[in-house]
Amino acid sequence: MSEHEYHPLVKQLLDGEITLAELPAELRAEGEAALQLLGMVDRSTVSVPAVTWRVMARLENRRRRALPWLLAPALALAAALAVWLLTAKPVAPASMVTVRFVLVAPEAHNVSLAGTFNQWDARATPLVRSGASGVWTATLQLPAGQHQYAFVVDGQRWVPDPGAPAVDDGFGRRNSVLTL
Amino acid sequence: MIITLLALPLSLLGAQQPIGKRLDGRVTPDVAAVVEELGSAASARGLPVDPLIQKAIEGSAKGVPAERVVAAVRVVAMQLDTAALALHEGGVDGDTLAIAAGAFAINAGLSGNDITALARIGASAQALTEGLRVAATLAAIGVPPAHNIDLIGIRLRSAKSPADLPRLVMDEMAHGSTPAQAAAGLEHAAGGGAGARGGQHGPPPGRGTPPPHPPAPPHPPAPPHP
Repeated sequence: MSEHEYHPLVKQLLDGEITLAELPAELRAEGEAALQLLGMVDRSTVSVPAVTWRVMARLENRRRRALPWLLAPALALAAALAVWLLTAKPVAPASMVTVRFVLVAPEAHNVSLAGTFNQWDARATPLVRSGASGVWTATLQLPAGQHQYAFVVDGQRWVPDPGAPAVDDGFGRRNSVLTL
Repeated sequence: MIITLLALPLSLLGAQQPIGKRLDGRVTPDVAAVVEELGSAASARGLPVDPLIQKAIEGSAKGVPAERVVAAVRVVAMQLDTAALALHEGGVDGDTLAIAAGAFAINAGLSGNDITALARIGASAQALTEGLRVAATLAAIGVPPAHNIDLIGIRLRSAKSPADLPRLVMDEMAHGSTPAQAAAGLEHAAGGGAGARGGQHGPPPGRGTPPPHPPAPPHPPAPPHP
């Protein structure tokens, strides 16, 4: 089929943008011919030959048969992970223990507690001063286990708990030890 | 359904935060890089990584220079290795809580042999972990390793919790006993002496020579930083 290049105005006519009457006289014949040609196009439903349907049906069947094989590795992986997690040692929720921390520091302006239970955050757990006696206290709920901690006095001095055992912290100081 | 099956375990696996994320904003990038490397290697050997992360965060929180933080984290990594080997020799493998407790006990002054002796008793992993934690506390109080292991061994063999031992030792110390005397007295009262190591040792209460020093820390000596 050879390609025929229409005048741009004729193309607009075919696109329905202008009418035949709007075409210049010298282009009307070309426009009419183009419209006739367009009218000859068969717009009836195209029927697919039966053989095509049979081929498509076979392909569909193959796809359906292949689906389980494609999904099998994913299912096996999911099952293995699920079994592994379900049979793994269950992490029992740690029981919580209430602990009261006390430090006598009459000269301190503020005291806080930093340790393994609060990611050594010196601002996370402030102690409260009880009256004018210089006794600083904090009561915490801690999980059962072993904890290391120190008091932080005035945001700078790291002081081990004088009432608790202590171990070397590896930095030239000592950490208090609490076993719950 | 398949997506759910895949997503559930993967989401559970992702619940454990990566090392880098836990250190983010808490330590310098240099320290984080070393801890990530040490942590990955430790994890590949079946060791817990939390003690490494905690030590790095602790050092940075205390304002310790980065090189000293890294050195301390390396010491913890070595203690974890020693504890894992000691537990393995005692017939206990792969329990990260017991390994962490053993490493801390080593930091407190016990040896790998002490940990192996406790592991050989054959207590449950949970009981052994508790025993190691209490042993570390007793070591921190100043109880000599021989008494310490015997006391814990008596409790483990009789399936009794050793959790009250530190308080009992400190009560005796409040009455003037040394840690060794207090521990020996408790051993005697429990009818012990065979201990985890199978031998009787230690003076009777009130007659022993107090230890000259608490257990020496395994860290290299370092002056306190300002």
